[in-house]
Amino acid sequence: MLKVEKLESGYGPMQILWGPDLEVKPGTITSLLGPNGAGKSTLLKTVLGSVPVMGGSVLFEGRDVTSLPTHKKVDLGITLVPEGKHLFKEMTVYENLIMGAYRKEARVHRDESLELIYSLFPILFERKDQKSGTMSGGQQQMVTIGRALMTKPKLIMMDEPSQGLAPKIVMEIFETIEKLKKEIGLTILLVEQNAAALDAADYVYIMHEGVIKAEGNPEEIKNSDEVREAYLGI
Amino acid sequence: MMRHLQKYSPILPVLLAYGVLLGIGLAYPGKWQLIAQLAFYCALGQAFNLFMGMTGYVDFGYVAFLGVGTYGMAVSIYFLYDKGLGIGLIFIGLALAAVFSTGLSLAVGAVALRLRGAYFAIATIGVNEGFRYFVEGARIWNGADGMIFSRHLRKAVGRETAMTLSTQWADILVFGVAVLAAILTLVYMRNKVGYALTALREDEDAAKVMGINVTKFKIIAFITSAVLAGLLGASAWALKLTYVYPEDVFEIHYTVEAIIIVLLGGAGTLLGPIVGALIYGASKYFLAIVLPGFQLLIFAPIIIVIIVLFPEGTVGILKKKIRGTALEKFII
Repeated sequence: MLKVEKLESGYGPMQILWGPDLEVKPGTITSLLGPNGAGKSTLLKTVLGSVPVMGGSVLFEGRDVTSLPTHKKVDLGITLVPEGKHLFKEMTVYENLIMGAYRKEARVHRDESLELIYSLFPILFERKDQKSGTMSGGQQQMVTIGRALMTKPKLIMMDEPSQGLAPKIVMEIFETIEKLKKEIGLTILLVEQNAAALDAADYVYIMHEGVIKAEGNPEEIKNSDEVREAYLGI
Repeated sequence: MMRHLQKYSPILPVLLAYGVLLGIGLAYPGKWQLIAQLAFYCALGQAFNLFMGMTGYVDFGYVAFLGVGTYGMAVSIYFLYDKGLGIGLIFIGLALAAVFSTGLSLAVGAVALRLRGAYFAIATIGVNEGFRYFVEGARIWNGADGMIFSRHLRKAVGRETAMTLSTQWADILVFGVAVLAAILTLVYMRNKVGYALTALREDEDAAKVMGINVTKFKIIAFITSAVLAGLLGASAWALKLTYVYPEDVFEIHYTVEAIIIVLLGGAGTLLGPIVGALIYGASKYFLAIVLPGFQLLIFAPIIIVIIVLFPEGTVGILKKKIRGTALEKFII
């Protein structure tokens, strides 16, 4: 579904990505793991277009989308759950979700999407009139994921959804991510530092210093001593 | 249909406020200048709010749009007065004001809107000063000598009409700009543009990943706000004074006043700029009477106190107070 080929990008004169190759197959969860500063977030931002591409290409459903502006990519069905819960804090939960259905195609399916999200996260229905900024970290993350679902995506990229959450909540979030795959057939590219993302994944890439260092099934990755010690610390 | 119109009911208190203001002005001719000044502040605040309030971007070069608008009207009267266009000159002047301010806002927006937050504010400070020295240095439109066109206006429309234009219609036009700005603000708020702007004001990155073309909507708000400023300059300055000097119209002081008005009233609200303008304009006027010469010294701490105590502005506070009551539908 998504294919990243020899992607290079960075900020001004500082190059971050040094040509990683990566593929996300439809209906799977692909995890991208690696330490701080590996370039994982930059990769997501480059795919979506908020960091300029210096070289290489991004293919979505076989089509070259490398230089499309961000909003056009969202139109095609790619979305991002940004790092650090970028919520509209002054808006209620409901308003946040509705903002997700901004695009025309998303607006047509607004009510069914809402229903789906409320069934995935019943707490969001209970709290729909609460200001999103006043909720707990885990609940805010649910709103962010819900809002991304409202755009009617085919591919959701998630940037460290477990960041800053209690271990129990982290497990819940990962369970939800697996549900998204199984129940709605979504394709997910999951960027994580948390090694728990290994268990949820169908395929894993390990990134370090802007390149892919290793890839494989979760089992292969877990069993590779080199990878475990160097990049996962387990 | 009724339901459709109901979402525009917040325009009623706005029209009421302007109606009362105009009524007082007509009933007490001695106070007309004060009313005209208040209307100018209302229009300035309302036009400025459409960009700053709705996007959260602070444009320190805003007065440049009023400046080029003033020149739009001046150019029309100064160069076309002998073409027998009569009162049509005024409409050409307003059109030119809109064209000039659109042009400048496109040029500024294309560069500055790529920047965010404080960087945008700093970049725009230069616009106003730069444009003033450009006009003076390149001797465009008579450069620093300015344009004095009262004679031209008299020749074009006759002494009587010229008089009425400057003393009455210029101020009425200011009211018109204020109402137009309020209507546009509400229409934006109640439609796709407004949702996009609210989203990008709260979190630009999140807005992007929802498929909102943030650049497009920032530019829409920027141009709309600039054109309103251009029309305001054309009426409140050009038509009223019948002369224009670069150092008078490209004066950053007015941008600062616009910021104060919007913050006092409540950024991003519809009624806020009016309330802010009335508080600011009236207290400036009366402080100047009570303590002439000291008004700015006293005014500064008052503004600081108000902004620290009520960061959401007067209308922001009011909105919280009336949540859940019938008034909620009208005050936004």
